[in-house]
Amino acid sequence: MGKVIEVEPVTRLEGHGGLRIVLGDDGKVKDAQFNITSTRFFEKFCEGRYCEHVPRITPRICGICPIPHHLTPTKAVEDAWGVKIPEPARKLRILLQNAKQYSSHILHFYALAAPDFLLGPFADPALRNVVHVINKMPEVGAMAMKMMDFGQKLCAAIGGKSVHPISAIVGGMKKPLDEDVRDKFLKEIDEQIEFTKKTVDIGLKVVTDYWDVVANVGVVPTYYLGMTKNGVHDIYEGDIRIVTPDGKKIDYDVHNYLDALGEHIPDHSYATHMYYKPAGYPEGIYRANTLAMINCADKMATPLADDALKAFRDKVGPISHHTFAYHWARLIEAVESIEMIATLLKDPDVVNPDCKTLDVEPREGNGVGVTEAPRGLLLYNIWSDAEGICKKLNLLVATNHNIAGIEKTLMHVSKQVFEDKALEGLALPKPWID
Amino acid sequence: MAVKVAFMQCSDCWGCHQSLLNAHLGLLPVLPALDIVYWPAVVDFKHDSLKARPDGDVLVGFLEGSLRTNEDIESAKLMRAKCQLIIAFGSCSCYGNVHGLANEWDIQDSIDRKFKQAESITNKDTAKEPTSHMPGFTRKIVPLDEVIKVDAYIAGCPPKPEAIISAVQFLLGQKPQPMADAAFCSECVLKDSGCVLEKGVLCFGPITSAGCTLKCTSNGNPCVGCLGPSKTVDSRASKLADMVKNAGALSSGDKKNMYEFLALFLNIPLMSGFDLAGDILKQIKRTGAPQTPLANLPSETEGIASSLMGYLKDHRDFLTVSTVCDTCPREIGSKSQMTKVKRDYEGLPNMEDCLIEQGYLCAGPITRAGCGGLCLRVNAPCSGCYGQTQWNVDQAERFADIVTKTYNVALSKEQLLAQMKDKIGFSEKFTLATNKNYR
Repeated sequence: MGKVIEVEPVTRLEGHGGLRIVLGDDGKVKDAQFNITSTRFFEKFCEGRYCEHVPRITPRICGICPIPHHLTPTKAVEDAWGVKIPEPARKLRILLQNAKQYSSHILHFYALAAPDFLLGPFADPALRNVVHVINKMPEVGAMAMKMMDFGQKLCAAIGGKSVHPISAIVGGMKKPLDEDVRDKFLKEIDEQIEFTKKTVDIGLKVVTDYWDVVANVGVVPTYYLGMTKNGVHDIYEGDIRIVTPDGKKIDYDVHNYLDALGEHIPDHSYATHMYYKPAGYPEGIYRANTLAMINCADKMATPLADDALKAFRDKVGPISHHTFAYHWARLIEAVESIEMIATLLKDPDVVNPDCKTLDVEPREGNGVGVTEAPRGLLLYNIWSDAEGICKKLNLLVATNHNIAGIEKTLMHVSKQVFEDKALEGLALPKPWID
Repeated sequence: MAVKVAFMQCSDCWGCHQSLLNAHLGLLPVLPALDIVYWPAVVDFKHDSLKARPDGDVLVGFLEGSLRTNEDIESAKLMRAKCQLIIAFGSCSCYGNVHGLANEWDIQDSIDRKFKQAESITNKDTAKEPTSHMPGFTRKIVPLDEVIKVDAYIAGCPPKPEAIISAVQFLLGQKPQPMADAAFCSECVLKDSGCVLEKGVLCFGPITSAGCTLKCTSNGNPCVGCLGPSKTVDSRASKLADMVKNAGALSSGDKKNMYEFLALFLNIPLMSGFDLAGDILKQIKRTGAPQTPLANLPSETEGIASSLMGYLKDHRDFLTVSTVCDTCPREIGSKSQMTKVKRDYEGLPNMEDCLIEQGYLCAGPITRAGCGGLCLRVNAPCSGCYGQTQWNVDQAERFADIVTKTYNVALSKEQLLAQMKDKIGFSEKFTLATNKNYR
């Protein structure tokens, strides 16, 4: 008899899942599964709702990224009904999307990922968490909390609530940012940019310390899925972009998503497996999320982030298959977000009350909305009837886009760990904290 | 001595945890009081470590999420066995949340839509419900208290961070301390002329910490005590004390202020957003109350707080029947009048008048207070995430009944109902799982 290794549940994860690795008698890895054990059927129970109410239901798909789950279905309904929103509304939405991206990326870096690196992979599981990091590194902890707080408060100021926002409406936004509130955020922006730079420094030190791990563990060539606008990194609007394992970039208009994205229903996960359709399943399995976005981008949208991208590429090359580089990629995106926030807060359009068009009429048809959520591409395809009732909904969320790629990586790493004993020779730094 | 707490996630979105984390620096005073023994969202203890604990080993268990899978049911039962006190944490476990809308269909319809019919599926010929190492789905979603005994409820989607922190503090008996030396009045823009309290409006400025933006009184509104107690009080405190001695006689506007004050200042867990199962006063007595959970208050503040707690003791309804409208800043009986039901995308409402009177479907009149009217403040109607104020009734009918009687609405009840196309989606979006007609 071989051996089954189960991790139940996977912790520090925004969802429900377990890992299952099956080893044969010969010590070879026979199977590696990522079992996602929950799903809630939003695709079904949004049927029969007012289309404009769908964006008030779907944020409950993800409490960490409810903002993309509010904005993306709104965009899909606008697409279905042929609604053009005023420019101030578009800018408010981009600001909102970036506020979320910022707080989510910082939360991910400090609360979900950092304990692994600051305490090292062999630390006591009872201590390997953000609470311990805060206790041991109070200054870094306080900085991290101020960053998340800034992002979440900005989300709440624009969205009404940071978790499950309500201010976007088909046709624009219900309300602009109040000027006095905007001024308050503007006062803090320089400090936030400094905090972000410090965070990048911490991230780079981690990468340097763990370079042996980054360069050798979980380096898995796959396809990548992201979004760009004319080739530039964009998290609010643009084309779907696929990058092949050897670095070829292919763009798809969002309306043609079915040409690019295939959904395979596995038997061992409620989160389905997405892949690049022309390459077939499983060969076309792609990865999404930060590294994918960075691999997709010709350049970043802001100067500091673009410098950070160049530094990244100098080190890992034009296409990175390094799973551990996801964290670095996340920080490049965080830099872009804080720069976008700084620019947009100074833009008079975000306090402009002309943020909702009155020219909105339901019509029959289907619309597609796409944004880049913090964990990967988010796509809503909504079918409306002539009265604007939702007839059908197809949803492709970040979890779908990531699961097959994670499982492929898990198989690769399991072989490295259990067959090649690759961990034994790795150079690991002394933990920052114990 | 830190107390053991566990957080369990059933089928959820993580939003309640995000809301708790949103307290950020506000978490710091609470964390040392907690020994977190299970919290997969944040710490690395695995399922087996919770299973291995003796029954009743954990003091407080927070359970987030709906019961959509058989694994969720097992997790709930495990938590009940290991925890002395179970808190239904958020509207998923309190009421099933939006996921309960799936109860409109047979579970097989939902399974087919997701795993067989979705437009992007490419293996349609073999695709079926995943079953390998998968838990399987419950036939219908039911609220947590139909599966295990629940001791306390924190409603909201998500519950406000302040509500969670104050609920935790309340359960742990931790008492926040007064802050600024001077009272709000010392900085108030109306201190020399136009004082709202002197005009007879219930304003808590005399006993509240100074140091805020003064937005409330700058707009002519009273202070409701956001910043908590001050170390010294303003001389107007005696006027305030006189008013609350006879709280029953206060106007509805004053009661609205009092409601917000109780939540924000006295740190009474947000009442409608936080319920202890059974008799709340009996539960409060167990912790030595009814009395304010605050300590070291100036005597005038203590007196005012005691009057209000006395009022709560005699008026339990005040805790439970307040609606979102009671805490909404908009005017009811405004110059606007509903003449037809408007869809949310139509026009753009003004910020002052009741949204219903402006024509929009807003669930405020049938929804429990606790949020402070967050949606209304960004011009969006309430969608009912804190749950309803009455149960086992047709919520759409009840809504139509209330608004055609007491709001500026030109439609008859029947006309209004006829114009509501998605009654369930409007009136029971968060609570359909509690509706036994859909089992």
